[in-house]
Amino acid sequence: MMQSPFRRTSIAARLTWMNLLVSGVGLFLAYFSFLAYDLYVYREASVESLSGLARVVATNSVSAVLFDDDTSAKATLSGLSGSSDVVSAAIYTTSDTPFAQYVQKGASPPPGKIFTDKTNQQSWVSGRDVVTGARIESEGKVIGTVYIQARLHGLRKEAIQYANIAAVILLVCLAVALLAGIVFKKLLAEPIVSLAQTAREVSRSKDYALRFSPGQEYDELLLLTEAFNEMLGAIQARDGALEQAKAELELRVEERTAQLQAANLEMEAFSYTVAHDLRSPLQAMSNVCYLFGVMDQGHSPPQKVAMLAQLTATVGTMSDMIDDLLDLSRSSTAELHLSELKLGPMAASILEALAKASPERVVETTIASDCAVEADAGLMQIVLQNLLRNAWKFTGRRDKAAIEFGCMQRNNEMVMYVRDNGAGFDARLADRLFKPFQRLHGASEFPGTGIGLATVRRIVGRHGGKAWAEGAVDKGATFYFTLRAEPGVQLPRLAGNDDAAS
Amino acid sequence: MQSPRYSRSASGLPARCCLSICALLLAGLSMVGWGQSGGSGRLAAADIEAAYLYNFGKFVRFPAVDAQNQPTFSICILGDDGIGAPLDNLIANESIQGRKIVTRRLTSAADAGTCQIIYIGQTEEERLERNLAALEGKPVLTVSGLPGFLDRGGMIQFILQDKRVRFAVNLTAAERPRLELSSELLKVATRVDAKPAGEAK
Repeated sequence: MMQSPFRRTSIAARLTWMNLLVSGVGLFLAYFSFLAYDLYVYREASVESLSGLARVVATNSVSAVLFDDDTSAKATLSGLSGSSDVVSAAIYTTSDTPFAQYVQKGASPPPGKIFTDKTNQQSWVSGRDVVTGARIESEGKVIGTVYIQARLHGLRKEAIQYANIAAVILLVCLAVALLAGIVFKKLLAEPIVSLAQTAREVSRSKDYALRFSPGQEYDELLLLTEAFNEMLGAIQARDGALEQAKAELELRVEERTAQLQAANLEMEAFSYTVAHDLRSPLQAMSNVCYLFGVMDQGHSPPQKVAMLAQLTATVGTMSDMIDDLLDLSRSSTAELHLSELKLGPMAASILEALAKASPERVVETTIASDCAVEADAGLMQIVLQNLLRNAWKFTGRRDKAAIEFGCMQRNNEMVMYVRDNGAGFDARLADRLFKPFQRLHGASEFPGTGIGLATVRRIVGRHGGKAWAEGAVDKGATFYFTLRAEPGVQLPRLAGNDDAAS
Repeated sequence: MQSPRYSRSASGLPARCCLSICALLLAGLSMVGWGQSGGSGRLAAADIEAAYLYNFGKFVRFPAVDAQNQPTFSICILGDDGIGAPLDNLIANESIQGRKIVTRRLTSAADAGTCQIIYIGQTEEERLERNLAALEGKPVLTVSGLPGFLDRGGMIQFILQDKRVRFAVNLTAAERPRLELSSELLKVATRVDAKPAGEAK
């Protein structure tokens, strides 16, 4: 969001308005109080002068009243025309009609209000006008009353004058407030705005090296600026430290990974070498055993024959073990050559071979026909061989053995499984199955190397999948594996292996 | 014994009536007195003249000597003109310049020595010059309704103007015995004659 020009000026504008408001209110208060006071004073003075007039008229009207000379009374009253405020005046004696009156054009005579108290003089307000009355006395007796009604024109004039003055002052205040606003904008608003801009810039670019460079600021602004810059500095330092720590950590991880990989490779190379080198003498032993058997056909006593058979079997076991070790080694190091495979037929051929090898066994097999995956054919062969051979082996004591291979869609991934009704295993130890050289059954019970499942897990892992097992003692076992955690995930591949894919 | 010239019915002229009432009231008539007077239905010029007679006293300053010697303020009547009765009503319990007002009927102007105001009635027309001569030099305000009174040396003369009772003043005559007539009084006089009366003779 960009900073609008309005926002930029709003602080100054707001202050200007505040200035105006405060001075305006003050001015209005002052104006009204002064006006009220002045009007009050003016009125008092007017009433006072009116009272004086009334007294003079009263004194000068004594003889006119006494001698019933309304002409003379009128002459006296007409003297009031000199005062512009007086709109009318009248002398009342005893009747409701005035004895004599003076009325300015368009005005009405003052009403003959009879005095309520004993004072000789009284004033009251009648509409816009002020009426002043004074008694006419002779020899201590009241013989009449003079009323003078005056319109205090001056009041309005005074109010207007005050209003004009107030307006001028307000204008001056406006100018001063605007000026103050401009000055304020320069002194306060602009630094704040640029501070805010810097903050925004920092938060947008994440460049904590930015600093706000104030002008000649002081007081809180300087504090704010300093605090801001300090904060930026702290963030920058922390950011740098974090960056450095991350880099160090990455470096260390890389180092460790390299070391680990080197160690692994070394170990695997070693085991491969050992296995491979063991293989030749073993082959020689096997060959010698075979030749020995052929040559000695029918001549040796049965004990010797039995011993030879045991030797041959032991050599075979060792050969299997070496094969397994080589498989395990290969499963880690061999390049993946992915291709479309159908695991069903592959499993069927393996079981067929197993059945041929042990024709005496009765095993019911259920094999899914398809189970198409994208995987390395050689490695998949190893996986299925290991799992099916296991199943074959652990169902050895069942009269009606059953082995099933299948696949199912679960949570967007293909899950393959090999199920048997064999000896099963303790479910609590399920994870140990997949560790190399971990055997849950004794070698005498079920022969094996304890490497097969470790090899399975490793191969499956290299395909981006995982392997796990379910089962219970004497309730059979099911081994599951997936090949790809999610469809579309790029599998770890070595450069150039695509050409070699079969 | 009223003069036919001045006799009028108040009922015929309401305005006059009001003015008359005013005059009477202003002269100090109590509300009760006024009520009785009003109740009679007749307000005559004599009533007004009586009131004026009393009011004159308020606007005249008599020589100091006279003021010290007299404990009362005497309004004397020489020859009855019907003014006596209303005047008596009027001045009951009234005072002028702190002095109680009394009325006296005189048979001769020679008795006017202690009077402050003397009213000379119509009946005295033939003896007027003699009476005035008797009062010559005395600080007595002479008042009369007789025509030509001022020219003959009187000080204040009632006259009928526009059916209203007014008065004229001969200032010269008044100043001769050092009577001081207030300007207020002169203001409401229809005529102020400042010519020396003696010369006019």
